[in-house]
Amino acid sequence: MGLFDGPVREIENFVAGKCESAGCRKLPIRRYRGWPSQDTLILEEETAIELGNPKEGSLALLAWAEEKFEEDSVVLIGPDLAEIGKRTAPFAQIVMVSGCFDEGYHCFCELRDAVYDARLKGMMFRVMPSRQMIWIRINQDALDHGLSLGHLGSALIEALSEVPTVSGVRVVFVTSGEHDLAKLSAPAARIERIVGAMMKMTEEMRYDCDGCEYRDVCSEVAELKKIRNRLKEEKET
Amino acid sequence: MTPRVIAVCGKGGVGKTTVSAITSHELFRRKDRRALIIDADPAGGLQMALHFPEGTSINQVRVETISEIKKKNRDKKDLARGIDYMLARALIEKGHLAFLSLGRPEEVGCYCSVNTLLREAIEELSGKFDLTLIDAEAGIEQVNRNVMKAVDYLLLVSDTSAKAVKVAETIRGVAFKHGDKRKAGLLVNRARSVEELEEIRGRTNLDVLGRVPEDETIRKFDGQNLSFFDLPSCPASEAVIRALSVARILD
Repeated sequence: MGLFDGPVREIENFVAGKCESAGCRKLPIRRYRGWPSQDTLILEEETAIELGNPKEGSLALLAWAEEKFEEDSVVLIGPDLAEIGKRTAPFAQIVMVSGCFDEGYHCFCELRDAVYDARLKGMMFRVMPSRQMIWIRINQDALDHGLSLGHLGSALIEALSEVPTVSGVRVVFVTSGEHDLAKLSAPAARIERIVGAMMKMTEEMRYDCDGCEYRDVCSEVAELKKIRNRLKEEKET
Repeated sequence: MTPRVIAVCGKGGVGKTTVSAITSHELFRRKDRRALIIDADPAGGLQMALHFPEGTSINQVRVETISEIKKKNRDKKDLARGIDYMLARALIEKGHLAFLSLGRPEEVGCYCSVNTLLREAIEELSGKFDLTLIDAEAGIEQVNRNVMKAVDYLLLVSDTSAKAVKVAETIRGVAFKHGDKRKAGLLVNRARSVEELEEIRGRTNLDVLGRVPEDETIRKFDGQNLSFFDLPSCPASEAVIRALSVARILD
């Protein structure tokens, strides 16, 4: 069983449920390739749409799966940028990758950099991965030129395909509202705990589990134990 | 070259905040560039003068970051992203202006790494604006702390007292070491006459940009706590704008 298998399954179930109720669609990746990359400053007065403003809900998740994805995909639950019809909307960006991630936390950091350093012209990104928050502003010019979440998904796939350990990418965007973000809170909390435990064992290198705040998650997720044992062995040799 | 990062410095009480408020108003009125205004004085006078609402200060971002570290998050890149997010959240925007206040120091203890990350984040943020205006704390402490490493123009403000002019000279000397090509200019506030200005010009080696006369409109705005965004054209504001042109800040 893989490190994030539990929460990834919950996310997949959520997406499957939405697809059954016609609440989601797959965006054609090829059509959205080639949007220029640029770090853009977008002030409030230049903002056409704001996703995941701190006053609204947002969620940024990153996890990997053991199962190999048959193809890269971008799924959108809710309206795309041109269809949102209001200035702000809650937002979730979920990135799941398949591949070989034996290095645990180092792999996670590499994936995280690829995901959160991606930039698109006309979009301003602010992320706080430790709190799973993401905030995006889109300017009018980009919207007028047809910027879509498909472009963002495509850029994420492109960035992740540069990471040697990645064999497949699934991106899910949620713009349908707070109620759907709330449905993702359980897998989000699980991912946060797993990443926290990985970070702790990588950076602290102490193996006294009795007083550790991540004891529960380490006992449940076998893969975390494996990482811990490997790190311990490395230290001892 | 047009300066991009301007720090308004000088002895306490000489009128730095008034000069910064007039400059902010002029930048707002011109609408020709995106500007970041930083109130680096813990007293928060510029925030009051411009009637910006109280929001999250840079020092509160610092405290929040320290709390992240205490919660065991020591990943530098992750912290840097978090600071970037929190700073964006702390910005108070008005048209093409964005405002950040330093706030009061709230967390004791040495967190040099956080200070460095914060400084780097502010420099990066500032780099995305066409112009950054910093209303500095009185005296030379911030200059000593290297906060102004990125500053490329020192707008020094003094009144007509020898002490204030001396402090301005000291600030320039501390901020820009010998041979530094960056520029500084002195604006003499509350000078009563051209003769008084010329007398100061004769006894300082600073570039004197001009004088700002005593002005009843400014007194009224200060006294009644009116927003400087509503300041009408008056002799003092005209003098500041002239000085900004001499310094090529408004080019």
